[in-house]
Amino acid sequence: MSKAPKVRLRKGNGQRGRYLLRLFIAGNGPNSKKAVANLRGLCRMHLNGRCTIETVDVVKDFQAAVRDNILVTPALIRVLPRPRVMVLGNLSDLSKVLAALGLSGSDS
Amino acid sequence: MRETRRPIPKVPTQIAGLDAVLDGGLPRGRISLASGGPGSGKTVLGLEFLWRGAMAGDPGVFVTFEERAEAVRSNARSLGWDLAALEKAGKMAIIEAHLSGNEVVSGDFDIQGLLTIVAGHVMRIRARRVVMDALDVLLRVYADPQRERTELYRLQDWLIDRKLTSVVSVKAQLDGNMAHRYEFLDFMADCVIRLDHRVNGHVATRRLRVIKYRGSGFGTNEYPYVIGEHGIVLFPLTKAQLTHRPLGQRVSSGLAGLDAMLDGGFRRGACVLIAGSSGTGKTTLASAFARAAARRREKVLYLNFEESQEGMVAGMLSTGIDLRPALRTQRLMVQTALPEAMGSDNHLMRVIDALDKFKPAHLILDAISACVRMGSEKAAFDYLMRLVAVLKERGITCILTNQSNGLAGACEELSGIGFSSVVDAVIQLRFVDAGQEIGRQILIIKSRGSGHSNRREPFYITPQGIEFPNNLRPPSARAGQADPKGGGK
Repeated sequence: MSKAPKVRLRKGNGQRGRYLLRLFIAGNGPNSKKAVANLRGLCRMHLNGRCTIETVDVVKDFQAAVRDNILVTPALIRVLPRPRVMVLGNLSDLSKVLAALGLSGSDS
Repeated sequence: MRETRRPIPKVPTQIAGLDAVLDGGLPRGRISLASGGPGSGKTVLGLEFLWRGAMAGDPGVFVTFEERAEAVRSNARSLGWDLAALEKAGKMAIIEAHLSGNEVVSGDFDIQGLLTIVAGHVMRIRARRVVMDALDVLLRVYADPQRERTELYRLQDWLIDRKLTSVVSVKAQLDGNMAHRYEFLDFMADCVIRLDHRVNGHVATRRLRVIKYRGSGFGTNEYPYVIGEHGIVLFPLTKAQLTHRPLGQRVSSGLAGLDAMLDGGFRRGACVLIAGSSGTGKTTLASAFARAAARRREKVLYLNFEESQEGMVAGMLSTGIDLRPALRTQRLMVQTALPEAMGSDNHLMRVIDALDKFKPAHLILDAISACVRMGSEKAAFDYLMRLVAVLKERGITCILTNQSNGLAGACEELSGIGFSSVVDAVIQLRFVDAGQEIGRQILIIKSRGSGHSNRREPFYITPQGIEFPNNLRPPSARAGQADPKGGGK
């Protein structure tokens, strides 16, 4: 059984405009892999690493899914900055994700 | 060649009447689908299945896609079900599975999160029953019928792999397109139940129908049901309810003259119809019977759809029939209701409740002509047929009054095929023009399992009671024979 990525921290450039993103996946299926890869790419390209990504595998931690009421996976929650935003899916439609996270037209 | 199959294993729902329709219960370890419009009772059905299971030590998980968990608990509380206590005892789990609707969708996803949450609770309380209420709400997140379908198959496999006995409910869509959209849900379920909530003539009625049941027989009719004080109650006309007891011993009508015409009185457990136009004395005749029964220390339940108890007692006093002692000794119970106050199903449930608690030997219903106001002629007919079936099963004598105009056969006036077949005796009252005054006459049209007079006899309603001027003797005595079981009409 392959391990899902555990909580992973990326140091950003200072505290201002910091993003805390929580990604829920279920196991290591295609959608999980795509979502992880897409989110990492997004963080690198559009946030200059100014983000913290927590990845939660609901198969291993169902209480976490209960806490955040995760019914479908993959699901991404923007915990910070507020307000909380949720994006469903493997994040393959980059422009939609950027719009949802408030990063449209941001520097790349 | 006919395949001989073992009966499939079932889980009784313990919902009143439902297991008879389902020939034992829901398919064990399989999926049942309940669909119906808003207010049809889908949620109650699922919840009651879990509640009764949990109370019997079979834990269950309730997943609500629409309502808040607290709303589910409070609805259950109004039916006397304490879900919080069951949750505390580890016999039930309620999962609030809401998507806010504000989520952005980017790329493909699946319901694994939900399944994980459900799996966690199923393991925790060792649940064997799962109810998914309003699944269509979750499916809406896929704006793609093809994806909805694959997710449903995922859900189906998941539930069946875990051998969970499941009830999935979906809202029946009023919109034609949407109805088609969820049609395939019927294929994934082994048992499909449709709930219907309709309003006829301002009165709501509910009907349940089993559409299919893989590997099992089931009742194919539409069955009326109500959401009563303690959950769902179905009224199937089961085989058991159709096995009537044979007519019993003689019981006095309370009037010597009428007893003579009837060759000794009514038969216990018989259904007697007293028909006549307004003012001919139907209520007086019925009350005389009630008073006599109470004097014999037998209980009578009097359903009055026409007037209040006070009005009835006062009216009868003027004809020399004092019902107050019978009421005081609680041998007479009067249940009054406006027919239009509730649907016929609720009326029926109310009577059955009274029968269970009061356990009368006789019942009087005054008047069946008022029952039409429960909604429609069909509703009244259903009500009467079912009530009489219950009374016959329990051997309770039943006196029905019917306000009928004209002199046509009272029996034929009752619309609905077959009602006259459940009536054992018909007594007709009428006015006659007797020169200076109006007189009354009584005629026995039929009396099953008994000889009876074929003559119209005059009678008077006086302040001292009903009087028959002619010196009446039983017909068998006149014919010179005394066979109490004597031959019909």
